[in-house]
Amino acid sequence: MAGLALGAVEARAQAQEDIVLGGSIPLTGVFAFAGVGIHAGIQDYLKIVNDAGGIKGRKIKYVAEDTGYKVDASVAAFNKITSQNKVTLYYGDSTGFAKTINPELERKGTMIMAGASFASELNDPKKFPLQFLPGPDYTEMFGILMRHIAKEKPGASIALVYSDTEFGRDPIAPGEKLATELGLKVVEKIVTPPGSVDVSTEVLKLRRARPDYTIFHGYVLAPIPEFIQQAKQMGMQSRFMGTFWSMDNSMVQQMGEAADGFMGVMPYRYYYDKEGTSPMLDRIRQMRPEYQSTAYMQGFLTAMLMTESVKRTLDAGKELTGANMKASLNTIKDFDTGGIIGVPISIPGNSLPVGRIYRFDAKQKQMLPASDWIQLGK
Amino acid sequence: MDWLYVTEVALAGLGAGALYALTGVAFVLIYKATRVVNLAIGEILMLGGYVFFGLVAGAGLSIWAAIPLTILAGAALGAVVERALIRPMLGESPISVFMVTIGLGSILAGVVELGWGADPLRLPEFIPNTPIFLGEAYLAPKVAYGALVAALLIAGAVIALRFSRGGVALRATARDQGAAYSMGIDVGRVFSLSWMAACATAAGAGVIVGAIGGISPTMGIFGLSVLVVVIVGGLDSVAGALVGGLLIGLVEALAGSFLGGEYKLLATFSLLILILMVRPYGIFGTHEIERL
Repeated sequence: MAGLALGAVEARAQAQEDIVLGGSIPLTGVFAFAGVGIHAGIQDYLKIVNDAGGIKGRKIKYVAEDTGYKVDASVAAFNKITSQNKVTLYYGDSTGFAKTINPELERKGTMIMAGASFASELNDPKKFPLQFLPGPDYTEMFGILMRHIAKEKPGASIALVYSDTEFGRDPIAPGEKLATELGLKVVEKIVTPPGSVDVSTEVLKLRRARPDYTIFHGYVLAPIPEFIQQAKQMGMQSRFMGTFWSMDNSMVQQMGEAADGFMGVMPYRYYYDKEGTSPMLDRIRQMRPEYQSTAYMQGFLTAMLMTESVKRTLDAGKELTGANMKASLNTIKDFDTGGIIGVPISIPGNSLPVGRIYRFDAKQKQMLPASDWIQLGK
Repeated sequence: MDWLYVTEVALAGLGAGALYALTGVAFVLIYKATRVVNLAIGEILMLGGYVFFGLVAGAGLSIWAAIPLTILAGAALGAVVERALIRPMLGESPISVFMVTIGLGSILAGVVELGWGADPLRLPEFIPNTPIFLGEAYLAPKVAYGALVAALLIAGAVIALRFSRGGVALRATARDQGAAYSMGIDVGRVFSLSWMAACATAAGAGVIVGAIGGISPTMGIFGLSVLVVVIVGGLDSVAGALVGGLLIGLVEALAGSFLGGEYKLLATFSLLILILMVRPYGIFGTHEIERL
């Protein structure tokens, strides 16, 4: 009898134990502009959940450490956070970290992880069974861009401009293959060393190729504006496009004249997008009256998907193990994100292959939709 | 071979090289007078870009007022750093002083990040934007004007070194500190002066580099290419910085266009090794200089 009572007490204690979301977050260093937004996004979503009573009465506690966007610091943060807390969910800051920590994640088997990386390599449920990407991977982003191009101008020529980093090189080879499949021609590939400031020689190369479209990948801001400005000065008519991390509205605004007409792929809706009913976006605008970056949306949605998988696991009466939570995540089908993404989403594997083309409007100083939502595989 | 293209690439390379040369001169000024390898030069350049941004976007000053103020701020920073960090290290091993400058670089990057945040920023447009054509060959206007300003500043530095009292004192100190001291030259002031001149030059270079590529707390990486420039040219030679800068700019541009961007650094560093093997003290450097 006493044992039974003790068991019940334990069970209740268990039921009220906080669920911990740990994070290796780049609050300083080269990726800090994103880290700050991600940090705020995660906190805000968890606040919404906790204010509403948590998940089955259990609050979610967010424990984050700054990493400076360095893999060793990220791993140290992971070790520190997981040794001091019983961590169920984890946010990692880079592809390098996601790959480094993967064996440890599998060995522990107690959590699922997502992060700032959209690396194509991570989009493999066999190799990375406990991780997911809260959006399309970089190759899928190219897929969305190229599908748009193929529709707008069949047979168009494309130049790929990318940074000589793991991030930059990620979608290049599969992107070329994809272009061929869609009947597009990749006429030039230009790689720039990381941190390069002056791109005059690269622009000369671009002019010789005369592409209809130029896709930048592996950058945040520099050297995209200088590229576009010089190309326009030389009378080039190419359309310029980017992928997720160069698509934040405040970043594009900074491009000055070069911003006009800049396009790219974005899986999330922008902070100011008031089209249709979007309770979550309304909530965000209420919580934070000033513009929030696309990195914020990324953190916010990641926290939403993570908590959703916890909820589904607990609802099914299962233990919160990595495998169970990942399985629950994969049951997400036609899920309404409250307007963060414009269409209902499903996560059949490790990624969310959906996005939309946005184009910068110089008059309104905003990225505005230039296509419908494009869902790969549909 | 398309000669027009080659010409355009070479011009772009020389333009970029002029900025390397300018920052290289800043590096050499300090090394020449004080034998300090200043690895924070890239971060001082970055700080110049941010100070300029702060004066124009934050304080609302006009660009033409902000440029001299930025350069003055650079000089002031140089004076403070020399007096507070470098002078107390006099007589310590070169490695210790070298480490101090590395620390200084990290501190400056951190300060900038605290003050302005980590987001990359764009400087207000102030360089004329009309395309420049030399005959048929296109030259990006920012690069062209940047190179022009760099050339003027380098010329100014060379003239000052040759003819001004401070310049003569600096050269005398570089040649023989003891002799300069006994001739009544205030060696301490020369050290201070060289840091001020160098940091002012770097801050000015930061404005130009920032105008071309934008500013961010990580733009100090520019200093890495400059280090190659001065090692190739010779750590204590202004002429070396000039030739080294143009050479590295040209090599980077040609390698980037004809081999691909991933070969830029490979080409630069291969050249560095080659030159070090043939002339370990750089093209124009003096023999007895110490390598770290």
